[in-house]
Order: sequence, then structure tokens, then C-alpha cells
Amino acid sequence: MKNRKLGFAIIAAVAVAQGLFQSFVINPFWAKNYARTTGDISSLSPDQLLASLAGFREMVAGILWVRADSFFDQGNYDAILPIMRLVTILDPKQIDVYATGMWHIGYNFTDEESRSDRRYLPSAIAFGQEGSKNNPNTYELFFETGWIWYHKIDDNYDRAVKWLEEAMKRPDMQSARKNLFFRALVRDGQIERAGEHLFTLLEESEKEIGDKDDREVEFGARNNRDTREKNLDNHLIRMVSRGWLAQQRGDYAQGEYDTKPPFDVGFTAKVTVTRNRIMNVVGTWNVLPVGTRVRIILRDAEYPDAILGGVEWDANADVALDPPRNLTYMQDQLFVRDRRFNKTIDMSRDPTMYPFSSENYLIEFYYSPRSAPDHIQDKFGFNGEGLTDKRFLNKEARPGHSVIYTAIPITRDQILRQGEWDTRTPTFTTEGYQERGVGDMRDNIIQVPGLRAEGSN
Amino acid sequence: MNVIINIARTTIGEAIRRRVLLVILLIGVLFVAIAPGLSVLSARQELTVLKSLTLGIIQLTSAVIAIVLTVYLIPNEIERRTIYTILSKPVRRWQFLIGKYLGAIGALGLMMTLMTVTLVVVFWVMKPQETTVTVLRELTLGPLMFYVQMCLLAAVSVFFSTFTQPIINFFLSGGTYLVGSLFSSVLKTISENKDLPLAFKAVAIFIQNALPNFEYFNIQNPLINPGQQIQNEGLHYLNLAFYAVAYITALLVGGILIFDKREV
Amino acid sequence: MSLAIETKKLTKSYKTKGGGRLDVVKELDLQVEAGEIYGFLGPNGAGKTTTIKMLLGIIEATDGEALVLGKEAGDIEVHRELSYLPEKPYYYEHMTGLEIMEFYSSLFGKRDTEKCKALLERVNLANDMNRTINQYSKGMQQRVGLAQSLLNDPKLLFLDEPTGGLDPIAHIEVRDLILEFREEGKTVFISSHELSDVERICDRVAIINKGEIVQQGKLDVLLAGSRVELTADSVPAGIADGFKAMEDTTVSFKQGRLIMDMPDSSETNGILDAIRTAGGTIISFVPRRARLEDLFLESVSADNKVKGRKMGRMTIKDLEAEEAPLEEVKE
Repeated sequence: MKNRKLGFAIIAAVAVAQGLFQSFVINPFWAKNYARTTGDISSLSPDQLLASLAGFREMVAGILWVRADSFFDQGNYDAILPIMRLVTILDPKQIDVYATGMWHIGYNFTDEESRSDRRYLPSAIAFGQEGSKNNPNTYELFFETGWIWYHKIDDNYDRAVKWLEEAMKRPDMQSARKNLFFRALVRDGQIERAGEHLFTLLEESEKEIGDKDDREVEFGARNNRDTREKNLDNHLIRMVSRGWLAQQRGDYAQGEYDTKPPFDVGFTAKVTVTRNRIMNVVGTWNVLPVGTRVRIILRDAEYPDAILGGVEWDANADVALDPPRNLTYMQDQLFVRDRRFNKTIDMSRDPTMYPFSSENYLIEFYYSPRSAPDHIQDKFGFNGEGLTDKRFLNKEARPGHSVIYTAIPITRDQILRQGEWDTRTPTFTTEGYQERGVGDMRDNIIQVPGLRAEGSN
Repeated sequence: MNVIINIARTTIGEAIRRRVLLVILLIGVLFVAIAPGLSVLSARQELTVLKSLTLGIIQLTSAVIAIVLTVYLIPNEIERRTIYTILSKPVRRWQFLIGKYLGAIGALGLMMTLMTVTLVVVFWVMKPQETTVTVLRELTLGPLMFYVQMCLLAAVSVFFSTFTQPIINFFLSGGTYLVGSLFSSVLKTISENKDLPLAFKAVAIFIQNALPNFEYFNIQNPLINPGQQIQNEGLHYLNLAFYAVAYITALLVGGILIFDKREV
Repeated sequence: MSLAIETKKLTKSYKTKGGGRLDVVKELDLQVEAGEIYGFLGPNGAGKTTTIKMLLGIIEATDGEALVLGKEAGDIEVHRELSYLPEKPYYYEHMTGLEIMEFYSSLFGKRDTEKCKALLERVNLANDMNRTINQYSKGMQQRVGLAQSLLNDPKLLFLDEPTGGLDPIAHIEVRDLILEFREEGKTVFISSHELSDVERICDRVAIINKGEIVQQGKLDVLLAGSRVELTADSVPAGIADGFKAMEDTTVSFKQGRLIMDMPDSSETNGILDAIRTAGGTIISFVPRRARLEDLFLESVSADNKVKGRKMGRMTIKDLEAEEAPLEEVKE
């Protein structure tokens, strides 16, 4: 090459052109459609890195997953987490691993009393987020993530709606699973949309069955149609009887509805730390029909992203697979029977799950009518219109509906029964607490009329 | 042009007779052939694992062949003094270098074709039901993009061979291939890390754009996991080819500039 | 006569590790006339191959100039008219003799199979041209090398150690070919560290040591007779004894047979007369020419002595010490 300057000019031009070309044309397209590794590959050991580089990822991932299975059998759950992480890095298309992983992270880490370690929830959610991002063409991981929100977290239902909605957009979404979206919509307070969804589903079922003879239709399909029809039926009636339609029209105040007048649940509670890390919770809840579960939380006063009666679990979700080990978060349910609850919560056998390494803690009581079973919601209404409490009604904790909420501060010394609390028994009561339930039994029992018996429209 | 083609032809003839390359190729072909037996070890769907495994073997084998073939391309000529006989003829150095490069990728093409044919035969024999037109397309498209990748790798290696010893070149080219295959993932990690200083990220982005990005040519993902609809797929492959050709041009021009001044 | 090669102060230097500078070829002035066989002689590491590479343009000179066939060294057009046979060349082993020839032929732009065959015939390889190179003996490989160097009917041939490692018969074959080149009017530039065969065919030689020319000239001038050998019979003992006292003369005398080795000087005629006068018979009187080996060794060792350098053949270590530095000096 005689002209060296020309040579250098060619190199410079090509270098710049290829840089721009790969940054703005190739990379975005590649990242969208072909990128394989998703997470932090620094967690791979050199041989695994080499194997994954060599393109044997699916193979290695498959072998690892077989190994993880044996740990499941042994109950060695901690050993599964890194394998799961590795498998999903190597083979991000392994939907089963993501789905199993989320469920495993979300549900399987429990204390001696089967309370799950909710500090893992951000990891579970992040796993679902990552998995669905890597597998955007199938509904599965969107559905699974929605399920975690709907069922495990059982709060912030807008997230469940969001994820299930994404799942619904995928053509492979299972027909029967679409019904869950209706439940999520109701819990999120999107009552009208829930009805519309049921109409659509029913139409879908009708179309599927069409003019076919009964023998040609699968039992499942027919059953599904019937369920949808029943759900729609009930939903429409409830929209009327719970006064929801009247509210939309603006004449709720004039009519007679099941949700009127609001029912006072009369919540009170007493917490006694009986021994180190063991506490007894008793209290009142004047609802006689079974099905009430009051949420109790004991957590660090400064738990990150905490909201009243819960945590924004997805606020800082990342697949760390390592819970914040210095934080404590206990959540349980107080089951109401005979208008009282009485539960002993023992955290003494799980020091890693309940480290109690801070000074100040908070005991929270939380009840949302949105999570209530239908027969109780018939009284309380979709958004708690029929629910009240002299002391603890809270309309701010969650937008759009009322909840019952109160909190009691507690210190570490009190929980651990140390220092001055070594001999003194820490006892906390909410306002109005009385040792025995008072009042007229009849007044305090919810009377729900038959669904089809009443209602002004 | 005639001169370049003749040098390339001779290079192919020599390369396909080099024993070390033939041994590597044989191992690759052998692994492709026994892959169906290996894939049962894994819990994943068999077709997925089989595709992933065989494409992986082809990629690995091709990369090793590409590097081993090209690191000795120029040094061998100097050591045996054949280069003097050639350069004392009316042959310019750039013609010689390009002829050698074209010969190398020609030989590589023949070897990769052999592996791909083995792959197709294995699928045809082991999975006659699953070997549809779609699968055949996947089984040839994957290696085809690998080939473009290997052409780029060979150019990297030829570039280095104009100023380094074969053994150093082996690690340089291998290292470039590793970094170029992993860097976009590393970069992602780096750019998402909030704690790293901006300068560090800038350096990472520079490296990303300066080094050849081999990972772009790994298109196995949608091939192994079907059901993904990619819009304008063909255009992307054209873009990739264009990218490779541009990069190869820069590397060869750089190689020529160095080789022109090099004492042989 | 025009010059086929002309160099003026041609120099090639490398930087040494210590930051110094090593001249592998130093201010070389060469004049090779068209049509002659030029011997470029010197021990290993003297700078012979480096000089040839500079003349071919394969490496660049640090300083000085070189004209080859009237054009600057390295001019690609000149390459059509010259050819180079490197020392111990290797050819692509998988190819047959004919394929090798066709390959090199194609580098000139077109493949001339007939010419290839004719040349192989000329070097006595007609029967072996379809065998692969790895089945050839060293001598056969060298002959292929010579054949390929004739493909372009060159005006100028560079032969680097053309007989290196060959057996005596192959030596003769190669030597005869080179002589044929001279008949055809080609200029042949032979570099060699071996002497016996080159001595017989070179018109002129240059002796190079440590990158510098120590002797240059027509072979018969350089080797011009300096001594004579005299053999005589029936020489009386008294006369023979008288010769023994002469300076720089070896005298052997036994039973009347005298053999003398003496400088070719003005006294020679007197000695001849004295022997005849004393009744002796002159059997032979031969002027003895110096051998090239002697010239070579004398030149090189004298040069080494002058410069306080190591005597004799260089060792591998010496070579490494001089060839290791690869960084070129840019002037």
C-alpha cells in the first residue's frame, strides 16, 4: 500500500462507522431479539463461564437443574437458590425454572411455624420480572408473577392486575386461568371492568362451544362456561346489592343496601411478650361468621419501603436471592372465631429469620375488606363502605377503600425480654381494649340477607 | 486479483491438509455425531438441548480452528522462507496478505460446511420427525452466522499475526474473542451498577464500541427456543454481514499497513 | 558493460537491547556487471542474506542506495526480471513439483503449464513432476527451486547458498546449471559461505565480513600466482644445500631429487640456471595459484585481527547476539 495516509483514513472511517452502526443499529435489535445472558455473569465460576460461552448453556443449565431437584428432595432449599440463579443465567428460556424458582423463593423459606420469610419477596418478584422479560412470548411468567401478587402478597392488587393483564395479552394464556383476572380486578376495585371481563370470557366460552353437540364438547370447556356464567350472575347481583351501581348513579344514600348501615367491627387487641421472642396476641372482632383473618406484622420500625400494613415489595426488587439478613419482618394472620382471636407467635426458634438487630420495632394490625371472602364482603362492600370501627377505621392507608389499621411501637428489649424487661412482662393494649368482649351479641353479628332476596334495583 | 486468488487457493490446499486442524475438526464432527447421546443428561426438552449442544460444539470447534489456522498463517511462510520466493515475484505484500486471509476463511468455510452437513445428517437420522424445513433452516442459519463470526475472528488473528509471535497471538486472539463474546453482558452489568464512576463506564462503552462484538453473531437463542417472532430478521443478518465486512476491512488494512513495514 | 546491481553505502542497522546500534551491513559498495557470475562470500552472519533482501526490497535499507537492473531496489516491475532462490527453501509439501511450478507461474499473472514442464525437464525432474514435494530429496527440491527461479526467464538471479546441504553429485548438477545461466547471458548473484564449488565458476567475488567488504575483484587477479613449485632430478647435494639458506623457501632434498617451494621472484631464473649448470634435470616448474579458501580465510582473519574480533567461524551464540535485536534503526 503506497498511500499509508489513505490506509489510516480508511481505518479511522471504518472504526467510527462500525462504532455508530453497532451502537445504534445492531445492538438494539440484537439486545431485543438475541441477547442471552441477562444477569450478572460475574456470579459464574470460570468453567461455567467457559461452558456458557462455548454455547453449551442449555445443556449445562439442564444438568444443573437435575442437580437442584435432588436438593429439593433433601429439603436443602438454600443450596437451590444459586443453582436456580445460574440456570436462569445460562438458559433464560427455562420457564419452568423461573416459575418454580419464584414459587420456591416466595413460599418455601419458612420458620418453624410455617410463616414464610417475606424478606425474600423482592427476589421472587424480581425473578418473575426477569423471567417474563426474557420470555415475553409466553403468558406463563406474567401469570406466575401476577399470582404472587394476588395470592402471596395479597395486597397492592393493582400489580396483580397489571401482570395478569400482560399474561392475557399472550395468545397461549390458558382459558381457565383468565378467570383469575376477574378476581384481581374486583380486589383492585375495578368493579365495572371486572364485569366486562366476565362478559368477554363468557362470550369466548360460548364461541368455543358454539352449536356443538354436548358430546363433542370437553367437560372442562363446559364447566368453564358454567363457572363464568355463575360468576357473572353473582357479580351483577352484588354490584346491585352492595350498592355499587347506586354509588355510580349517585343515589346510594337513598336506597337500602346490604352494606348499610356500616358495621362496626369493634377491633381491639392486647399483645403480651410472654417470653423471649414469644408473644401472645388476643383481641376482639365482632364478626360472627368465620372467614376473618386480621393481618399482624412485627417489623423493624424503619423497614425499607414500608407502607401501612405492608411493604411495597417491588420498590427495590432485584434478584439478590439474599434477604436483608439484619432486618426482621414477621407477618401472620389472626383467625377470628367467636368474635375473638387468640394466637401465640413463637419467633424464638428462628434467629436467622428474626434477628432483632435494631432497637425499635412496630406491631401492625391491618384488615382490608378487599381481601375478605364474598360472604363477608357482601356486608363490607367492595371498598369497605359497610365497614367501620369506632377507633381504627383508616381511609388513607390504601387509595380507594377503607381498612382497619393500628400500630404499636415495641422495643427490642421488650421483645427479647432483656434489660429492665427481664422480669417485667411487656404488655400492650390498643385503645378500648377490655378483657372480656362486651355488648349485645345480636347487635354484633353481621346479618347478611340472601343474595337474591333484596336490593332496590 | 489473479495473484490473490492463486495465493488463496494454495493456502486452502495447505490448510485442509494440516494435521492439527484435521484432528480438531474430527473431534468436532465426532462430538456433533454423539450429541444425541449426551443431550439426555439434561432436564431440558431434548430438541432444545440437542440444538444448543450441537451448535455450541460447532462454534467452539470453529473458533479453535480459526485461531490455530490463522496464527501460523504468516509466521509459517516466513519460517519456511516461502514468503521470500513469493515476494520476489511481482507480488505486493497486500496481495499476499489478502490472499492468505481469503485462503484461511476459504478453508474454514470448507471445514464448517463439513460440520454442518454432519449436523443435518445427525438430525435427519436421530430425529426424522422433527427435522422439518424450519429446523433445517435453523441448523444452517446458526452455522452460517458463526461463519461470519469466524471470518471476523480470522481477520483479528491475521491482524495480530503481522506483529506478534504465534503463541502470543493465540492468546491475544482468543482473549479478544472471549471479551468480544462476553463484553456486552459485562457492559450491561457495569452500566446498571450505580456505584461505578462515570469514567469507568465511559471506558467500558469505548471498549464495547472499539472491540469487535462477536456476540452479535450468536443467534442461537431464537433458533434454540422457537416461538419467537423476529421482525426484519433478514435485514439484521445483512446488517451483521455489513458490520463484519467493515470490521474485517479495517483489520486487514491495519494489518497491511503494519505488514508493509515489517521486516520478514 | 552496464551494471546489473549497484549499491552505494548500503547500510542496514538494528538497535541493540542496550540502546546501541548494530550494523549488519555497513556502507556496502557493490558493482555487479551484467552477464557475470558474482560470488558474494562470507561466513554465516556476515550480512549476505540481509544484503540480498535489501536488493529485493523485502527489507528496507537504513541508509545508502541500491539500484537493481537500473531501478531502485524493491520496484515491483523489476521483480518481473529477476528471481530469488532462498537458502534451503521449503515448498508447500502437499503440492506436486508441477503444481508448485504452476503456482509460481501464476504469480506472474498467467499460468504457463508448458513452460513449467519444460523447465522441470531442464532440471531433470520430468519423471518426478507429478510426485508431491514431500517425496523429493533435498537435491530435487533445490532443482525445483532453480526451475521456478527461471519461470520469468530472469535477467538477474539471486541464489542464496544454492548448494547448501546438498551431496557432491547434486553440487555438480547445480553448478552446471549455473554455468548454463552464464552461457545464456544471465547475471547470477551467488551468496555462499562454502567455497569449493563457487571458486570454480565465479567471475568476480566480494568477500564480506561483519557487514563490510574486505576484498573485491576478479577472481584470477585476487588469486594471482605468487609462488612457484620446482621439481628437479640429479641435483648435486651441494647446490641443494645452498638453496636452503634462501628466505621464504621450503626445500626438500633426497637422493638427488629436489622439490622447492618459493616466491615467484626475479631470482627464479637464476636458480633454474644454477641447477642446469650443475647437471641437474628440471622435471617441472609450476606457478602455484592461491586457493580461494586461503584468500577467504586470510581476508576474514586479518579483518578480525584488525578489529580485535573473534577469530574463526562464528558460533550460534554470536549469531544470536547479532540477530536478536529486531528493531530497525530509522534514519
